[in-house]
Amino acid sequence: MGDIRQSLLPRDVLSAAKELLYHLDIYISNMVQSGRQPPQVDSKTQELVEEFILHAPKDRNTPARRMSALQELQLLEIMCSCFQEQSRDTVRQLMFSALFGLQGNQADESRMALLGKLVSMAIAVGRVPILECAATWLQRTYRVYCVRLAQVLVDDYCSLVPGSGPTLQNIHSASPRFCCQFITAVTMLYDLTTEELTPPLELLQMIVSWIQDDPRLVLINFLNTPISGNHPVNSMDVTPLGGLMRWCIKAPLAYSRDKKQALTNGSTASEPEVGPLFSALHLSVLQVLMLLPNILNEKGLFGRLALLKMESLASLTSDLSRLLDQADKHAPSTDTPALPQLALDRLAQALQVSMANRALLCSREDLRAICSRLPHNNLLQLVLSGPVMYYSPISPAMAFSPRASHSPIASHPTHPAHPPTHTSTHTPTCTHTPLLSVPRSAFHDGGAFPLQTQPLTQTM
Amino acid sequence: MLKDQTMSVVLDGSPLKAMQSSHTHTPQTALSAQELSQEIKSFISGFDSVQGRKLNVREHARCAVRLLRSVPACRGAVLEHLRGVYDEHVSAFLHNLETESDASSGVSSNLEDIIQEVHGVLSEFIRLNPRAWAPLVSAWAVDLLGQLSSKHAGRRVAPHSSSLNELLQLWMSCAATRSLMEAYSQCLAAMLAWYYHQPSLGMWLKDFCSHGAKDTGLMAMGVDKGSRVPKIGSVVGILGHLAVHHSDSIRKELLRMFQESLCPSSPLSPTSSSTSWESSPQLRRAAVPFLLQLAAMSPNLFGAVSAELVELLRPPVLVQLQAVLQGIPREELDNMLGLAVHLISQSPSGGSRVLRFLADTATPASVIISGPTPSPHEGVREGCDRLLQMLLLHLHKLVFNRSEGAEVNPHRSASSQPQRVIPFLAELQSHVGELCAETLRLERKRHLWLHQLLCLLSVYGGPSVATEALCQLLTQAHNPEELALAWQLHTTLSSCIAGLIPAAVTRCVAQIHTHTLGTRQLTQLLLNMAAAIQSQDEERRGASGVQSSMAIQVGSAVSGHLHDFGPLLLHGDPNVSHAVVRLLSCSPLPRASSPAHLLLLCRAAVTHFFLALRRRGEGGKLGRDGGQACEEVNCSVLLLSRFAAYSSLTLKALLQQLVEGALHKGNAGLFGGQIADMSGAPLPSKSVSPDIGASLLDINCRFGTTVNFSGSVWSVFHAGVIGKGLKVRTEAQLTDPSGVMQNVQTLLAVVVQCCSSSGLNGSRLPSDPDEPLPINAEAAKVVAVTMVENVCPDVANGELSWPPEEHARTTVERDIHIRRCFEAHPVLFPLLQVVAAGRPALCYCSAVLRGLLATLLAHWEASRELLSTDSPWHLQASCLLVSCMGEGQLLPPVLANVHETFPHLTPFELRLLLLAVWEYVRGNGPMPQKFVFNSEKGLFCRDFSRDGDVARYVAPIHSVLHKNIDRLGHLCWRFQL
Repeated sequence: MGDIRQSLLPRDVLSAAKELLYHLDIYISNMVQSGRQPPQVDSKTQELVEEFILHAPKDRNTPARRMSALQELQLLEIMCSCFQEQSRDTVRQLMFSALFGLQGNQADESRMALLGKLVSMAIAVGRVPILECAATWLQRTYRVYCVRLAQVLVDDYCSLVPGSGPTLQNIHSASPRFCCQFITAVTMLYDLTTEELTPPLELLQMIVSWIQDDPRLVLINFLNTPISGNHPVNSMDVTPLGGLMRWCIKAPLAYSRDKKQALTNGSTASEPEVGPLFSALHLSVLQVLMLLPNILNEKGLFGRLALLKMESLASLTSDLSRLLDQADKHAPSTDTPALPQLALDRLAQALQVSMANRALLCSREDLRAICSRLPHNNLLQLVLSGPVMYYSPISPAMAFSPRASHSPIASHPTHPAHPPTHTSTHTPTCTHTPLLSVPRSAFHDGGAFPLQTQPLTQTM
Repeated sequence: MLKDQTMSVVLDGSPLKAMQSSHTHTPQTALSAQELSQEIKSFISGFDSVQGRKLNVREHARCAVRLLRSVPACRGAVLEHLRGVYDEHVSAFLHNLETESDASSGVSSNLEDIIQEVHGVLSEFIRLNPRAWAPLVSAWAVDLLGQLSSKHAGRRVAPHSSSLNELLQLWMSCAATRSLMEAYSQCLAAMLAWYYHQPSLGMWLKDFCSHGAKDTGLMAMGVDKGSRVPKIGSVVGILGHLAVHHSDSIRKELLRMFQESLCPSSPLSPTSSSTSWESSPQLRRAAVPFLLQLAAMSPNLFGAVSAELVELLRPPVLVQLQAVLQGIPREELDNMLGLAVHLISQSPSGGSRVLRFLADTATPASVIISGPTPSPHEGVREGCDRLLQMLLLHLHKLVFNRSEGAEVNPHRSASSQPQRVIPFLAELQSHVGELCAETLRLERKRHLWLHQLLCLLSVYGGPSVATEALCQLLTQAHNPEELALAWQLHTTLSSCIAGLIPAAVTRCVAQIHTHTLGTRQLTQLLLNMAAAIQSQDEERRGASGVQSSMAIQVGSAVSGHLHDFGPLLLHGDPNVSHAVVRLLSCSPLPRASSPAHLLLLCRAAVTHFFLALRRRGEGGKLGRDGGQACEEVNCSVLLLSRFAAYSSLTLKALLQQLVEGALHKGNAGLFGGQIADMSGAPLPSKSVSPDIGASLLDINCRFGTTVNFSGSVWSVFHAGVIGKGLKVRTEAQLTDPSGVMQNVQTLLAVVVQCCSSSGLNGSRLPSDPDEPLPINAEAAKVVAVTMVENVCPDVANGELSWPPEEHARTTVERDIHIRRCFEAHPVLFPLLQVVAAGRPALCYCSAVLRGLLATLLAHWEASRELLSTDSPWHLQASCLLVSCMGEGQLLPPVLANVHETFPHLTPFELRLLLLAVWEYVRGNGPMPQKFVFNSEKGLFCRDFSRDGDVARYVAPIHSVLHKNIDRLGHLCWRFQL
């Protein structure tokens, strides 16, 4: 394949790129047909791609050829149809990774730029195969680059071109896998630390509606991926669960802060309240967590795979405590004391549900260590102290509870007799009591969950 | 169909607003993915596959706009395609103008509606999301504008780029460019409004917009009241207006913008939004060019920013700036540099600061010793270097183009075509002095730049500045290398400014007159001018060069001002007088000069001569700067001799003053003389002097004894007060014999040189160059007469012939006065010898000689000593007197030789011989008319054979010889007749 370089050199930029694409297609098809293992593109070909498609400077002496924006658009169009017309998935995937697989060299910048445009265009013109390839790409690539791709798409569809949001909305139906990965990337991109890192409202609405429509969307990537050891380091999480959880927990504090700043800045833009959106999102997340045991059991991974990582949880709680400190500092006596409590409530709920569904594999000791800096919250206290042993004397190991004397539960021993309620009937929005009911049911509908059957200290 | 669309646009009235409103409110019909894909295909190919025909320009553009609204990934390509559309419109527009045809008829591609549509979409985007679109569109618009204007710059209808207003009008009348400019200014406004989100500035902007309508001046700037969308220049206008009233705040904001644009944000940070101003490298990069552009468009803003910008550019900031600018493409960077240079050259204030900053940064004090500020980055240094060179080049162009124009139309330039002002140079004009000082520090490259700048400044400022610069260089240079800069400056300027050196010298003289220079500067100036003139001599000897003509010019200029320098000879500061004498001694003398000036100069020169002698003596005593003093004396001698050679008038004046000076009370000490009390009156004793005014009676009592009877028949000799012993002689001053000797030699050398110079009687070249020139008779006569007048005024112009010896008794007192004079001034004898050499001048001293001889005769007659050597002074005086008379040919050689025997004789015998001398002179009077000019020798000679027989005067000599034949035998041959 390396020998075609000489024939490409005299051609103009666009036709050389077209030619190379053509040859690449043939080359990869042959490779797949011959069944060579592993099906990988050699470095010669990679160099050709970098030189004639990405136009990375080969060496310092020869100035890089550049495409005009029009030529680039033509190339993108050709790529679109090329991927569309390629019937074999393997070939398509190989081709995509030959073109856009990051090599850690200088060409990566132009690679990313071209990829951003290609995916953006694929979304616009609904090229499903490309989105599928991109989903795979997202799965295999370092999270920093995934975030960059998400950034490009969000910029394109949520800020640059007004009214193009609905187009993005369609990716849900076009490629759920891509959609799921996109959500993961977006939750990593916007970590709600500053105003700029707050997702655009349109995007938020879109994500909420996607998940509400189909909660399993969150897990689709997890479902379709064989759990193997070759999961690259620093790649994105398999599911957006962690990121979504972070959003929901931090949102009350982050948005109240932004609102305050907006007020002082004198901008009176009245945006629709985001509170309900996050409440709905939180509910959806919890629902998805509840789906997990079955799926894990099917895969035989129950209690063996932690979908939520302990480290990300630790960073979440430290972020949260910082936010709470700030909120205290800026407004020691505001009219919204409920917001910090809401955040803590959501944390407690999420912790309890994920632990109960074995999405989070850790001991309560670990949780206490992580949450030690957080201010007091009844629900959190409850979750951290775990099932009080007076009522479940099965495990003697749990008889000792250092916080038992301080536990609010200890002083209200009658409470556990609360009748169980079904979580799905509640909307976890505003009040304390209904929220409380979620973990309680989790505790006491013990039969549904394997909480009591396994020692809590067991870890993988 | 085209016609129809055009018509509809025209009928619409305000198409822009209509477009905007329609686009903002009507939701676009959502296209399906297939349609979009089709749309992209047809956009790329320019071919409508559905209808199966080629798209025309308008349809193609519409397709592009649709894509812009629906497929984000296409925006780059769409904008690129629109460039072509805009370009086509501009071409058509210009073509229309050129063919002078009506705009609405016959234009095949009137794309105005499309332009409006595009503009509507873009401005909607900018309005909805300024952060994302403003940078993008502004960059595109500006780039396209630049491309269009440069592409069409050569067109016939396009006015020359210098007339910005006309150019603007042209572009504003074209829909495409107007749309671009409006889009650009909208972007700018958006970026600014968003950037300055401080409430205060925002308030101003709003305030201004609402009040702006009242301000007619600002109306002219094109503020669109209704839409609040500022047209071209209005951003600048607004800010400029604000700068007038709130310059502090605006300046702060702009400087802050500059600073923040430099602060590096974390690159490639994935979490930060790319639309943020601070974090976008492109925008940060654009800030500096934007500020420059802003400054270029509004003098007010420029003034506000420029004042403090230089202070801001500390080394760390420079490094940042360099880092930011490195990312800019070369071409753009060059443009920016050009703009910066233009701005500097147009800056009306702070130019010197900018210059110093640039020079300092371009040439750091030293690489090794970094000084107080850390040595800047190498790249920064090079950048400044480059900037400075470009600045110089730019100024060069400005200056010379400007003066060229002036030369072409010399008579018109003054009236109709005012010379273009270059504010930078105009401001620097007042800093010429500092510039010169900086230049003279001769620091590596810096002085070359500054020197070039000085040249430009001089050409710009005309003769006055050039003169000033040259003057400053002349005053401040300390050594030949530094002085060479002055000549380099002159060489460059001499081609365009005439008469520079005379003007500079005149200016220097004016400075001297106004005492604006300190003594050090004055000294330096004079020395430098002297050096300049002296270089001429060196040039004559060695290689010829540019300097020689200049040296001649300086020389002639200085010679015209000699009388102005004259008074400085007597300046209180020895250094100044030294410098002046050096200058004068080497400068040529003017061809014609008024006698009054000459006499003044002569007087000053002579006075200075004695001063110099005194300084040399003092210097020698104290052992310091002897070299300078000696050199000063030499210069003084040279000066005197040159003056003497100049004209008979100066010669006479000089000699007279020299002799008078030498005999003057104050200078007598120099030549071993004493201040003799000629009156013979008692000196007030030291004890009396304190209460000198105590008693009038006392003075009156003494009056009788203090009356001066000298010269009359009454003779009162005051020998002392009875009871108090003899009158106390004035104590002999301690003099340094070697110094006296030196001084006398110097004086004689001067006098001889003056006398022998050929000033009086035309040129008389000596046959043998080694032989000293003969003493000029006329000059000698002047000396003689002056001497007589000073020694004894009574006998001046008196009878030359001698009376019988007995008659001397009547003139005893006068004779004693004369003798005392000779005693008091040993220098008189050497002078007498000089006079004697200039025959027949000694004749005019006849009376003095007679008086001296009379007292000597009286002394020897009364002497009871055994040998004549017992009265050493009298013996010496006798010898010198007789030998002088012999040299002056008042005596024949036989008689003149008698002085050789004097030391061996007794006083009585000596008197006999002197008597014989007297007798001879009495018999053969010392008359000048007895001398005949001998053209062979070039001297006057006396033919003694015409006089009477000498033999009878020789008899006493022979007797004395006979008597002392044992001791005088060896001298006998001297007295053979």
